[in-house]
Amino acid sequence: MLHIKNLNASYGPIQVLKNCSLHVDEGEIVSIIGANGAGKTTLLLSISGLISSISGEMKFLDHTLRGLSPDRIVGLGIAHCPEGRQLFSPLSVYENLMLGAYARKDSDDKVIQDEMERIFELFPRLKERLNQTAGTLSGGEQQMLAIGRALMAKPRLLLLDEPSLGLAPRLVNTIIETIVDLNAKGMTILLVEQNARKALEISHRAYILETGRIILQGRAADLAEDSEIKRAYLGKDYKDLSER
Amino acid sequence: MQLDRVEYLSPEAWSQWHTELLQSTLNRAYNRVPFYRKRMEETGISPDDITSVEDIIKLPFTTMKDISDNYPYGLFSVPLRDIVRIHTLRSGQPNPIALGYTRQDLKRRTELTGRSFSSAGVSQEDIVQICLDPGMSLHGQDLKEGAEFVGALVIPPDPVSILSRIRVMVDFKTTVLVTTPSYGLYMLETYRERNMPLAALNLKLMILLGETLTKDVRDVFESELDVETRAAYGIFEACGPTMAYECKEKKGLHLALDHVIPEVIDPETLEALEPGQEGELVITTVTARANPLLRFRTGDITRLHIGTCGCGRTTWRMSPVSGRCDGLAVVRGVKISPEHVKNLISQATGGRQLSFLIVLGRSKHLTQVDIPVAVDESFFTGSLPQLHNWIRTTEDLFLESLGIRCRIRPVEYRSIASFWESGELIVSKARFLAEG
Repeated sequence: MLHIKNLNASYGPIQVLKNCSLHVDEGEIVSIIGANGAGKTTLLLSISGLISSISGEMKFLDHTLRGLSPDRIVGLGIAHCPEGRQLFSPLSVYENLMLGAYARKDSDDKVIQDEMERIFELFPRLKERLNQTAGTLSGGEQQMLAIGRALMAKPRLLLLDEPSLGLAPRLVNTIIETIVDLNAKGMTILLVEQNARKALEISHRAYILETGRIILQGRAADLAEDSEIKRAYLGKDYKDLSER
Repeated sequence: MQLDRVEYLSPEAWSQWHTELLQSTLNRAYNRVPFYRKRMEETGISPDDITSVEDIIKLPFTTMKDISDNYPYGLFSVPLRDIVRIHTLRSGQPNPIALGYTRQDLKRRTELTGRSFSSAGVSQEDIVQICLDPGMSLHGQDLKEGAEFVGALVIPPDPVSILSRIRVMVDFKTTVLVTTPSYGLYMLETYRERNMPLAALNLKLMILLGETLTKDVRDVFESELDVETRAAYGIFEACGPTMAYECKEKKGLHLALDHVIPEVIDPETLEALEPGQEGELVITTVTARANPLLRFRTGDITRLHIGTCGCGRTTWRMSPVSGRCDGLAVVRGVKISPEHVKNLISQATGGRQLSFLIVLGRSKHLTQVDIPVAVDESFFTGSLPQLHNWIRTTEDLFLESLGIRCRIRPVEYRSIASFWESGELIVSKARFLAEG
């Protein structure tokens, strides 16, 4: 579905992504695992067309993505749910959701309303707080709204950037379950997640990004058992054990 | 990527996947293995120069000598604490070669061997008996684990006589026999000599590896034993005994493209050859964690075939190996190099450099290795029992080092001189008789 070859991305003179090649097939959850500053977010931003200084091949279905404006990319079926939610705090839940449908040109109000109902099935809490301003929602609710807003574009591929960041453990589980649920309903997901353990648990495959380069990839279940990955990304406990 | 359907990917999907795997393998190898970094820097390339799988031809080769020179840890790309098993192998080089495996490496190897068994129809209903020489013990172990992986009952290669093996085959109703073609023929002949009824056998499948399975030999097994036959190919250095294996079509051996990127090169010019052209098989491993190999020269001569097979698989196929390009003799899967023999003779004679030949002959379908060693009169100063004693000790040394029994024969220089002077150290029996 998404095929990337030799993606290079830079901010001014600093090259962040170096020769990254990866792909996501329809129906998959694919995770990008890496330390802070490895280039995970930059990768998602490049796909969404939000970084212009990139080179390499990016194909989504039969379309070349490089050079397209972000709204065209949304129009092709890629929705980006950014890190830190990036909601419009003064606007209501309803207005934020409607903004998600902004790029949809082919839909009348009825279709949009149906879409919103589907999102309420996924996140009933959003319906309860429909007229509340986004800024007054809890962290978990804001994340639900951010995902809901991305889904309003009716994407075929959802890019999720750190959806569990800053959430209480209970809410992390809720968000993770939602991602699995969305995937079970047919949504293809490219996931960047600091909680590598959770990400590998729910993903089909994963790529390990280290200072802008992909150094390893494979079945998520295999990577979760890899000693090096465990030490580097799956928490301190194992490190303590292995280095005792 | 549907990993359970990995052998059926489209050419575009293979290209994408191979590019990804090659790039990440290079990123690891370049940063973690000083040998590869140095080699690449000497060649003037960096991982960033590899933008597609076709760029693989820009990379330097790795040889058996490189692996040996970097003994013991030089080629490991993970810390030693991540390695859970090390195999050391005789190499014919001054150092042995050491190969390390992480837990994931072992798992992948077992899964791949298991996949080859499954593709041949082996299941938990089967009784798999493995009969290999000690020189193939590493393959034997992988095969045992692969067969266990598919749930079969396994009889591993125990060091027992051929008669004991035949008895086990009959008593336990072995359904799948894994062996080398020549040992298979030896078993068949021994079975016949004893006038044992073929009807007492339950064999339905033979998996033959270690040597090239010729059509004649295949026909013998299929017609006389009424079994299905499948050939497999593997090297110790990568992926184990079933890096390539036949499907029911038997039109070449399917390479495990999800683990290796194969190429065929001209062994003289080192240039990459087109699919279908005959040359040396070169392998780059793309999933190995502990010991990645970049463009490893196998020394085996074959051809590659690209395209969809009648069985539906899209993995590239290789022709049966037609020979070696490095002067190694392959006897029941064990590789014997003149260099290695030279070292062993030197060891057995207190450092003397004696001329020798490696003569391959057949006795009861089993290739016999005869090593005439040119000795002069000074060698015969001792008594005859002393000479016999030397022969026995030297034969033991060869068995221990090569994993295969060789016959050592002290001869006059004259009798091997013409071969020695022509530089031809390995001769077949027929040729030796004809010209000797």
